[in-house]
Amino acid sequence: MKGEPFIDFAGKKVIVTGASSGVGRAISIQLSRCGATLILIGRNRESLMETTASLGSGDYHIIVLDLTEHEAILPKIKEISLQVGRIYGLCHAAGMDEIRPLSSCKAERFKPLFDINLIAGIELTRAVCRRDVMEEDGGSILLISSIAAIVGVPGHVAYSASKGAVSAAVRTLAIELAKRKIRVNAIAPGLIRTDMTVKALSVLPEQQRREVEEAHPLGIGNPEDAARAAAFLLAPQNTWITGIDLVIDGGYTAQ
Amino acid sequence: MDLTQALQWIAEIFEEPAENITLDTNREDIKGWDSLGVLTLMAALDEGFGIQLSEDELLEMRTVKDILELFRRHGHLQ
Repeated sequence: MKGEPFIDFAGKKVIVTGASSGVGRAISIQLSRCGATLILIGRNRESLMETTASLGSGDYHIIVLDLTEHEAILPKIKEISLQVGRIYGLCHAAGMDEIRPLSSCKAERFKPLFDINLIAGIELTRAVCRRDVMEEDGGSILLISSIAAIVGVPGHVAYSASKGAVSAAVRTLAIELAKRKIRVNAIAPGLIRTDMTVKALSVLPEQQRREVEEAHPLGIGNPEDAARAAAFLLAPQNTWITGIDLVIDGGYTAQ
Repeated sequence: MDLTQALQWIAEIFEEPAENITLDTNREDIKGWDSLGVLTLMAALDEGFGIQLSEDELLEMRTVKDILELFRRHGHLQ
């Protein structure tokens, strides 16, 4: 198959959440470069417009939506699919992190993290995978897990629990949806320099922050590192990978 | 609910366009009415109408008419 592109999203409509910044923005830009028509979801229209300024020449649509309002997700996805046509893929990159040691991690601290990291992702998947929304030939779902789902990261009990749940959900969804040719995967990034991670690390002393960074054999990652992996897993040409949680961490978990 | 509403409800459960669900539609005609679709139907009947299917009722459900008959038996179809 000489000449066939390795990754090509021409004619494919992909929803990306968390598109305002960080990994979500980088994934949006990468998918756009690969020909995708994007539906960008975020909380802030201005930030979403900044993302669109970096996109390629493809079409895009913007939806301002608070993903913690779970009941609003399905109607909005149905509405956008009626507007743009069948959806091929979803990347749920919106997420929240919080450094909080166990001693201060009361039960109510779990809810906001689970609401956005896990439940919103599953509700989006439920909406996008509807038989009257998704392409009839199947599609691809990508959720964002974390190395915190694999190794212990002190101070992240609620975050790691939410990401561990994402990883487990991906495996179940992959099997449940396989006969409809819908692939479901996750990427598990290590420490990537984004506004969210900079803010989360800011509570640590300088020395401890440096130690965290130096613990990564290939250094801290960039959003584009995650974006390339995301495009690979989402790509229509990638027909035989499902149910995986691909670690992208500069070697952190290999130690 | 009336017949139109019942058919729309069934269409929504199986994520089918409303025009695909008629009195003559069988389970085999509905892609979403597979083994997982049966579970979805059971959950929706329970949550929406308080109808909990017996094993016999579950085995009998093969057509849209069967679902409508279920609604009638439980007083949910005018």
